[in-house]
Amino acid sequence: MIELHDVALDVGGHPLLSRVSARIEAGELVVVIGPNGVGKTTLLRALAGVHHAAGGTMRVDGIAIGAMTAFERARRIALVTSDDVLLDALAVRDVVAIGRFPHHRWWQWRSREDDDTAVVRALEAVGMSDFAERLFASLSSGERQRVWIALGLAQETPILLLDEPTSHLDLRVAHEILALLRELASSGKLVVCALHDINEAAAYADRIALLGNKTMLAIEPPESLLNDRRLDSVYGITMERIRIASGGVRIYAKDGRWVSRERRSRAPNG
Amino acid sequence: MKPLAAFALAVLVPAAAAASLLVGGTPLSVAQVAGALAHPHRDDTLNVIIWQLRLPRVCIAATVGAALALCGAMLQGMLRNPLADPYLTGVSAGAAAAIAVAMLAGASAAAIPAIGFVAGLGAALLVATLARRGSGIDLNRLILAGVSLSTLFAAIVTLAVVRAQSSNYAGTIVAWLAGSIAGRGWHDLLTTAPYLAAGGFLAVLSIAPLNALRIGDLRARAVGVDVERAQWLILAGSSLLAASSVVLAGLVGFIGLIVPHLARRIVGSNAGALLPACAAIGAALCMLADAVCRSIVAPAELPIGVLLAFIGVPTFLYLYLRPAAAAARTARR
Repeated sequence: MIELHDVALDVGGHPLLSRVSARIEAGELVVVIGPNGVGKTTLLRALAGVHHAAGGTMRVDGIAIGAMTAFERARRIALVTSDDVLLDALAVRDVVAIGRFPHHRWWQWRSREDDDTAVVRALEAVGMSDFAERLFASLSSGERQRVWIALGLAQETPILLLDEPTSHLDLRVAHEILALLRELASSGKLVVCALHDINEAAAYADRIALLGNKTMLAIEPPESLLNDRRLDSVYGITMERIRIASGGVRIYAKDGRWVSRERRSRAPNG
Repeated sequence: MKPLAAFALAVLVPAAAAASLLVGGTPLSVAQVAGALAHPHRDDTLNVIIWQLRLPRVCIAATVGAALALCGAMLQGMLRNPLADPYLTGVSAGAAAAIAVAMLAGASAAAIPAIGFVAGLGAALLVATLARRGSGIDLNRLILAGVSLSTLFAAIVTLAVVRAQSSNYAGTIVAWLAGSIAGRGWHDLLTTAPYLAAGGFLAVLSIAPLNALRIGDLRARAVGVDVERAQWLILAGSSLLAASSVVLAGLVGFIGLIVPHLARRIVGSNAGALLPACAAIGAALCMLADAVCRSIVAPAELPIGVLLAFIGVPTFLYLYLRPAAAAARTARR
């Protein structure tokens, strides 16, 4: 379980988010949405303990995230990020195997049987088993994205945080990955991911957290959040809601109906 | 590591050591060398050549080669910069400046290694302090501080050489800067052994974090690496190894920069295989180079750093600039 109480986050001394409070239970899939630069990535990094909060408390299963060692944190929380790094001559299997780091002591670098099993399982889960021996550098952006997700899965943590896991992925693979996250949540993992596609979020999330106006405006089930007019003001665009056959709601930008700057700046807080 | 590569590397070191023992100003047969090694207490010229002259040099060359190659691999891994070498942290330049000044000031020959060691570590500490940000190290600042301070130290060395022209010290300083194992013995090796052992231990501890750092600092942090602690550990280990090798052989270039690249081509970038491979290749290369240095123009000697640059750089350039298909085949291994 993750508990956030009055959390404030800065980047380079500039306040990004404040008064963020939420409680996320094991078995939940929560999707974080919000415009570019609102703080989705920073929030996920703070939850993973790799970005220090400027204020408030963040706890995982009752333990303050900041009080955990890097090792303890990485055994509980995996963070999948979408930024790329240059990896020379590293095979896909080697990249994913790095996710096993927290299951070893510093002086133990040889892989064990359970490491190999975890790596194989993670690659299977993202449909990359056939790519295990390929050089990471030779993969497409979408394939690389799936490898990063496999790395997070190989960490075998009860909490999985993903920053835009469907970026670079085609429609089918994106939905396969979201279905996998849904399945992981249903099996008891706590999954939080940042997405840009609100309809993807609505289709798979238990709850959606909306970031805007430097705070978390809401964390609600998709049905109620998609009908919330604050979405329009946060994104600065008029949205059209359509009820689909299954009873759910989908949301689209209405052509040419931009919200004025004044209206955006007057968007109500949580 | 593939079994064939492991076997080749395991054979490489004893083979290079054997070849290095056979070669020198006085040509010796295999039987003579084996006889001297088997009877260490026999009192004859042959035993003096093997036990007092060649064996300590072979051991020192192996140690220096292994230490510099390990150090280069650790720094290249931490900085994710293929141009990083053991001297990037200012160890060599600091040691060189202190030794040049000490020689000019008339310090005793016995004190020179200690002065070099302390100054080398001091320079590395200064560079690390300048590069410090929060509890960790800013890698770009580390490179900038290392390069700038090395330039300053190099200027001090140049000044010392110019000042020493009127005395007998100019030649000694230049010879030391070119790198040489001439005149070193068991005593030097024993003196530096504790620092080498400490550096080697830190190198072993840095294997797991180095592997994780291959995917970048942020992801390494996310999988549980205490990046700041890993950086200090790698810097401390590499500085101890570099300072010890500077004391033993002066400034030996090439090994620390190039051997990690060669080793990576053979065993890949997993530090668990890369560091032992670097140590083996560095040791073998340095032993062979030292053997050539002391035999090719005997009784005079070539500086080992010069020889390594003449032979090593073209070989390395060939390996890197050969057709892309061949390079890709090796990289996939």
